[in-house]
Amino acid sequence: MSNNGSAVSIKEQNKSAASSLMKKNIRKFMNNRLALFGLIVIVVMTVACVAGAIVGVDYNTPNPTILKQAPSSEHIFGTDTIGRDLFARVLYGGCYSILIGVFCSVLSSVIGAVLGAIAGYFGGKVDSLIIRISEIFQAFPQLVLVMMLVALMNKRGLGNLLFIFVVTGWMTTFRMVRNEFMSLKTETYVKVCEAFGMSKSSIMFKQILPNVMSPIIVSTTTNVAFFILQEAALSFIGLGVADSTPTWGNILNAAKSVSVVTNQWWIWVFPGLAISLFVLAINFFGDGLRDVLDPKQQ
Amino acid sequence: MFKYIVKKLLMMIPMLFLISIIVYFSLNLTGIDPINFMVSPEVLSANQDNVEALRESLGLNDPLIVQYFRWLGNCLQGDLGYSFDGTPISSLIADRLPYTFELAGYSLILSAVIGIGIGIISAIRQNGIIDYIGRVLAVLGQAVPQFLVGIILIQIFSIKLGWFPSGNRISPDATSPLADAFFHLFLPVLTLTIGMVAVLMRYARNTMLDVLNSDYIKTARSKGIPEWKVYLKHGFRNAMKPVLVILVFRIPMLVGGSVVIETVFSYPGIGLTMTNAITSMDYPVVLITTLIIAAAMLICSFMVDVLNALLDPRVRLGE
Amino acid sequence: MKKISKLAALLLAMVLLVTSFAGCGGGSKDTKDTQAANESGSSAPAASDAASDGSLKLAITTGDGSSTDDKIPTPWYNRQMATNLMFRSLLIADSSLEKTEPDLAEVAVSEDGMTYTVTMKDGLKWSDGEDLTTDDVIFSIETALKTATINSIYTAAFSNIKEMKADGNVLTISMTTPYASMMSVLSQFAILPKHCLESADPLSLDSDPFWQSPVCSGMFCLDELKKGNYFTLKLNEYYEGTAPKITKVTVYFVTDFITAAQAGNVDYVYGNDAGLVEELGKMENFTSNEVDVLFYKYLIFNMKGADGNENEAMQSLEVRKALVEAIDRATLAGLYPNATVLNSGVPDDHEAYNGFSYTFDAEKAKADIAASGYDMSRTLKICYYNNDQTSIDLINMIVYYLEQAGLKVEATLSNDGTTDLFTTRDYDIGFKGKSSFSIDEWYTEYMSTDALFKNIFGGDTTFDETIARLSAATETAERDEVLKELQGMEQEYLYKVPLFTVGTYVFTSSNVKVPDGVTFCNPLYSCDLDFANWELAN
Repeated sequence: MSNNGSAVSIKEQNKSAASSLMKKNIRKFMNNRLALFGLIVIVVMTVACVAGAIVGVDYNTPNPTILKQAPSSEHIFGTDTIGRDLFARVLYGGCYSILIGVFCSVLSSVIGAVLGAIAGYFGGKVDSLIIRISEIFQAFPQLVLVMMLVALMNKRGLGNLLFIFVVTGWMTTFRMVRNEFMSLKTETYVKVCEAFGMSKSSIMFKQILPNVMSPIIVSTTTNVAFFILQEAALSFIGLGVADSTPTWGNILNAAKSVSVVTNQWWIWVFPGLAISLFVLAINFFGDGLRDVLDPKQQ
Repeated sequence: MFKYIVKKLLMMIPMLFLISIIVYFSLNLTGIDPINFMVSPEVLSANQDNVEALRESLGLNDPLIVQYFRWLGNCLQGDLGYSFDGTPISSLIADRLPYTFELAGYSLILSAVIGIGIGIISAIRQNGIIDYIGRVLAVLGQAVPQFLVGIILIQIFSIKLGWFPSGNRISPDATSPLADAFFHLFLPVLTLTIGMVAVLMRYARNTMLDVLNSDYIKTARSKGIPEWKVYLKHGFRNAMKPVLVILVFRIPMLVGGSVVIETVFSYPGIGLTMTNAITSMDYPVVLITTLIIAAAMLICSFMVDVLNALLDPRVRLGE
Repeated sequence: MKKISKLAALLLAMVLLVTSFAGCGGGSKDTKDTQAANESGSSAPAASDAASDGSLKLAITTGDGSSTDDKIPTPWYNRQMATNLMFRSLLIADSSLEKTEPDLAEVAVSEDGMTYTVTMKDGLKWSDGEDLTTDDVIFSIETALKTATINSIYTAAFSNIKEMKADGNVLTISMTTPYASMMSVLSQFAILPKHCLESADPLSLDSDPFWQSPVCSGMFCLDELKKGNYFTLKLNEYYEGTAPKITKVTVYFVTDFITAAQAGNVDYVYGNDAGLVEELGKMENFTSNEVDVLFYKYLIFNMKGADGNENEAMQSLEVRKALVEAIDRATLAGLYPNATVLNSGVPDDHEAYNGFSYTFDAEKAKADIAASGYDMSRTLKICYYNNDQTSIDLINMIVYYLEQAGLKVEATLSNDGTTDLFTTRDYDIGFKGKSSFSIDEWYTEYMSTDALFKNIFGGDTTFDETIARLSAATETAERDEVLKELQGMEQEYLYKVPLFTVGTYVFTSSNVKVPDGVTFCNPLYSCDLDFANWELAN
């Protein structure tokens, strides 16, 4: 009984130690003004976009009487080439773009981490097989994959894009996790766990993986920005999501028309600003997280 | 070490083979009839017989596997085939690839010099003016979509100011080939560099900071070695190892970036060729350009591996 | 271990060396840059530099995929200014493209329209000094019927030829049936040199190496081709007519006409895109010329294939009528710089117009579609293939109108617009554009023999006989009669929804002086622009 009691107290001790570390980290993060700014921008923009979508702002009704109108009190971002309210479109587009960024980076990190853990932990043939697969995926120009999928499915859907980003996006996380696993699996605590006869999956995911979580979280965060930019670039060369879906990239596509660039600055400046600001915020936030989580920087 | 390098190099052959199979078959899986792209719809209606003959002469009626091995056999003999509009692909590549090398090469060098330079200065003079400006620029360069940067640069420098041409690579009335190259390359290289510099700068700054805070620098300083020598000999040299890896690792991204940038600047490189081939479903060209880019990526990842093995003995032992 | 670190050091040293070299190089380049920038900034803008080198600047766009940037585009597909200067036809048209004058030859037609007598001009030579003879004409016409990339106006006309007989410099062409627009077609058809192209594969003639160093019949011929960049033209010393005042032409490969014009890289541009017309209209150094062109924008209903595979949802005429009612075509036309709403293949101001017009009535459309028994839960699919902003805007508007009528609508950008309609038969409506040589081209799409549209309109033979009469009709009154009949039919069957014709504009820069009295024609065809008297302003 007493044994049991002391075990609980150690657990509690650990917990309180963890929470004080957490507090320390939060304080550290709060002191990093840029990171805090990033976080606030991310939250504000996401909330605004989601709120806009929930309220049901009208992003889709063209109005031929107010084509290409400059920002005014009625349309604070102006109207686009067929008279749709740009503010509503940017809000709605934010939902899609942020969804694309977050969904793809999280999923690709998960895939990358799992495969990296397996490859790093088992090593040998499994490792070299997965490495080969990752190299093949890495060697594929994303453009070609997108095009093939577009042609195969005969439409430029959101699903296509998500799928491609995940498929082509997991390799960096994979490499990082694998390398960490390679060096961590020789550590004593892993040997101890093995000696206790723990199952391989619980060693991999419960014991080793938590030690690699920090860099994974950091890279997932910065990947969100990467995917949002990538979506915009693909839209630009005409291989993004279908035009009827107002992603930020699709709205920004109006910048392809020279006359829009020179005459109707609001049509491209606002979506451009939205992308840049969000990506900027994510980068600041990611840097802050790295400072807090990366033990090498502590 | 030698054996390791050879093994890695040999591994690239089956990988390229595999990639060629995947691309070849999935391109055919799309089921899109290339004839529709080679011949306008109006013409299709007028000359059905001619079109049928064209299909036959291109071998589009043979079984897929036959078509694949015929294509592969030809490629291995150095005959890369013909694009659907009849240009020999080898000459297409010979014309376009050097342009892209030029573009990507200058961007790489320029961004390495600027990125690493500013990164190191801002690490040495931490929180100085250069540090702040550098960090802000780095972050901005990373946040604005590259094609938008390109469009804005064209608007400002070639249309408003008229300093640089808005596209192409060679102009007929150039005074000297060197000046011509410079004027045409300036804006696209600048655009690509802006994107690349950001990453390199951050990396160089961070690793340099790590190194400067390490014990052996402190030891070197305590020995009374002059400050510049500490930075250059001990700091820079050690900080450069990881930066070098990142630099090589970024080359594929440069290639990807140049696909978009070449479209913006109508720069006649391999990226523009590929984009056009993709939109017109020109299989043979898509195949070859894909393989070239794939090979470039494989070589880069090979170089990263070798560099890693050279710099970090732990990784090599793990192999 | 030591070896490795040495190797690493060596590698690093090399990189350092390279980067430092590059640093120096970059530095010196930078100074050059500021000098150059200062020079061009202070002395003169880029555009006037261009004029002083005595070259007319043209541009060929590769952005729309119609031509590539590594060869001279074939004159048998689109005729453009650059190739018009290099290749001539038997006849030359005026700006209406209907009246013709002799060019390489004089052509006389017999009373019954069954025989054409072509008398070649004397002393014609190709730019390589070879004689240009009736052999070249016969070769060109025969090859045109075998090649794949060619404008269908030629094949449609030449397939009515029974035989050609040459006697010295006279060529006799006998027809199987009269073909009313034969003379206009001959004024567009470029004659190509037999001695250069004899051994080329006629199927893929447009990609023969010939197009990298062509032999020409026009005022100019190729001087230098820089793939992906530009080509220059120099005077053709064997040209027998009046030598032009402009002696050098530079043709740039560009992806975007507007940027090229703004950067001073082009003296002659054309287009119908709203952005282009607006931007160039604003530039003071460009003169705008509106051109009378039949550029149709229209919707087609995906009915059924010749194989009987049909699209059930669109079979009901009530549904199709209701869909047309739901779309406000006048507002759509407002998206284009100068669009005129159409109610058939015949423009409303044409004397043959039958007076019928479709009306826009959102409320009635909603009621009609509900009454027609159309399954409202079904998604109506629209397919389009133009990727420019105005087309995307237009499609978004159409989607909006149809949604207002209570339908579920989805629009998809397709890689190949027309064929996608019948290869998948997944789409209900296709959006198309067509720059037409004449009204006839609009109607030939209804023919059951049309290899493309027979898969969309189900090989319906209703129109065939009437269209054949249109092709053969030589008298205006007779033509108008047939046209009226055809309008009635198309409005009754409603396979195609004409939206509007868009106005095309030609812009010339102040670097070039176009002689008085020149009227521009459809820029994708060829006509007499009195080019010999064009001058460069200095």
